[in-house]
Amino acid sequence: MLDAISTLSLLALLLGLGLGYAAIRYQVKGNPLVDQIDAILPQTQCGQCDFPGCRPYAEAIASGEAEINQCPPGGQEGVDALAELLGVDTLSLNQEHGETKPKRVAVVDEKVCIGCTLCIQACPVDAFVGSSKVMTTVIAEECTGCDLCLPVCPVDCIDMVEIKPTIRTYVPDISELAHA
Amino acid sequence: MLKFKYNGGLKLENPYPVDEIDLIRIPLPDKVILPMQQRIGNQARPIVSVGERVLTGQIIATIDDQRCAPVHASISGIVVAIDEHVYAHKSGLKGLCVTIESDGKDEWVDTSIGCTEHYETCTANTVYNKIRVSGIVGMGGAGFPTHTKVRLAEGCHTLIVNATECEPGITCDAALMQAYPTKVIKGIEVLLHICKAERAIIAIEDDKQEAIAALNKFCNNENITIEVMPTKYTSGAEKILLKYLLGIEVPTGKFASDVGVLCQNVGTVVAVFDAVVENRPLISRAVTVAGSAVKESKNFQVRLGASYDYLLSFVDVKEGSHKVSMNGLMMGIELDSTNYSVSKNTNCVFIDQLEESKPTKECIRCGLCNTVCPVDLLPQQLYWYSKSDNIDKAIKYNLLDCIECNCCSYVCPSQIPLVNYYQYSKALYKQQVKEKQQTENARERFEFRELRLERNKHERAEMMEAKKIALKEKMAKDKAQKAVIEAAKLVHGSQDDS
Repeated sequence: MLDAISTLSLLALLLGLGLGYAAIRYQVKGNPLVDQIDAILPQTQCGQCDFPGCRPYAEAIASGEAEINQCPPGGQEGVDALAELLGVDTLSLNQEHGETKPKRVAVVDEKVCIGCTLCIQACPVDAFVGSSKVMTTVIAEECTGCDLCLPVCPVDCIDMVEIKPTIRTYVPDISELAHA
Repeated sequence: MLKFKYNGGLKLENPYPVDEIDLIRIPLPDKVILPMQQRIGNQARPIVSVGERVLTGQIIATIDDQRCAPVHASISGIVVAIDEHVYAHKSGLKGLCVTIESDGKDEWVDTSIGCTEHYETCTANTVYNKIRVSGIVGMGGAGFPTHTKVRLAEGCHTLIVNATECEPGITCDAALMQAYPTKVIKGIEVLLHICKAERAIIAIEDDKQEAIAALNKFCNNENITIEVMPTKYTSGAEKILLKYLLGIEVPTGKFASDVGVLCQNVGTVVAVFDAVVENRPLISRAVTVAGSAVKESKNFQVRLGASYDYLLSFVDVKEGSHKVSMNGLMMGIELDSTNYSVSKNTNCVFIDQLEESKPTKECIRCGLCNTVCPVDLLPQQLYWYSKSDNIDKAIKYNLLDCIECNCCSYVCPSQIPLVNYYQYSKALYKQQVKEKQQTENARERFEFRELRLERNKHERAEMMEAKKIALKEKMAKDKAQKAVIEAAKLVHGSQDDS
């Protein structure tokens, strides 16, 4: 009788210690669902979803505050992917938040730019470089085409230019190969 | 005799046989159009302006990129335009080109500076730089800059000179070897000098007996061997050649240089000779003009940038509408017109009579494609995955190892253009990888910005707090001082009164 009680108590103690250690050691920090949602979002950081960036939107989706169809840059494919991840019925993209546009990049007309640096402050990914009262320009590879620099520019010297395919980025069209 | 073998491949007849192969020099073209975007690397930037006079061999465009070779003027004359032209590429996209109108003088830049035939006295680095500034790229069709390839293969044990020319119908390498056997041998010696390989193997197919005889006659270097191989299509692909000649299989994602082999096309070797010994940059190349609509196929040594129409004016083209293609029937591409110009990697222009193409049918899963694939892939499986946009799966089945040799499409009884599907998948994969990288960058940058803004806010708050405290202290100090002064004044006043 005593043997059984002491054995079980010891076992309970040891396992409890083990579990307690594991809970601290392998604790999941943050909400893993937010990371998974964030991985699907296009990281344009444009704020068209009414949240200040992709991660805040991911958090809002995870907590049920936002719908999954508020991201125009992600397009319908993005909405479908989110629906699949969350196991909910897919929705069609909410047009109120804007429409899906082809990938674009900001180009500064450096002759017109007055170097007010407002765009530097507005850019969510620090793609602008420049000097106060001189001029700014865009690091094209880092620009996500979010349009956030357009409204702040006082001299309207930023243009959003569509990225055209080049010989090196060309993807052939296989729909032409469809069988006769 | 070859000890090794590879699976698959095809035995293909030359569709345009000729009695005698000859390399014909043709007069200078009136105008050349030189593309700034070469097959690999970033687009070169023109360093000349419209209206400027240029000399033959002068660098007209360059870029600071290891994967890009400079572009030289191929004739002397006036730069008449720097604008966009449609490239001879399957996309039909436009790219920047420099157009030079000839003054007919062919006045060269100073070619006396350099290594000359005493290149052995030059260091490997000097010779390497000479190759780099001479704008040499792989002349077999891939167009990889030779200087980069040589640098990557530093410390290699074997130099393979690819003279297989296994694409049926192309004879420009054979013509080049027959015309300049000494240049080939000397060029190999130059490459051996810089890459420090112990031996060189010239790989050549047995249908080029005249070229073999010519090379044998002039080759008296014991480190250079001539390996005659049976004529079989895709033997000339670099990785297959390595397997065939040396029994070395290049792992996925690696190159010949990773297994200690430098592989160069014979045309490239001749270009190296011209650059290092004669100090002449790459401004011309051998091009085969053939096809069922051409009465007799010919090889021309032509200046780069000359138009196809100019080349075709030297052969008899039959009447009627034609199909134009470049770089071979198997691995080449079809073009919509002859309105293109010869670039560094144009090895042939074929003008064929239009034939009614057989309609594409559904795949019947016969598996014939699997038997001819020289790199041991599963073309049928890759086809299904590519067709259904299942790129990840196709990549898992080693799609990236596909050399796009078109053997599978050639034997397909349903005439499915299999390689087009693979090209689509590869391009899409490349795009996806790039987009993923960009997304990752954007996330990182956004998160860092958030962190920075938060930190700035925090720092500002701390600073304000510190200022507040400092101000308070100062005020307290001032107050205390004032009180002391007041007290002193009082004391002073009372003394005065007394």
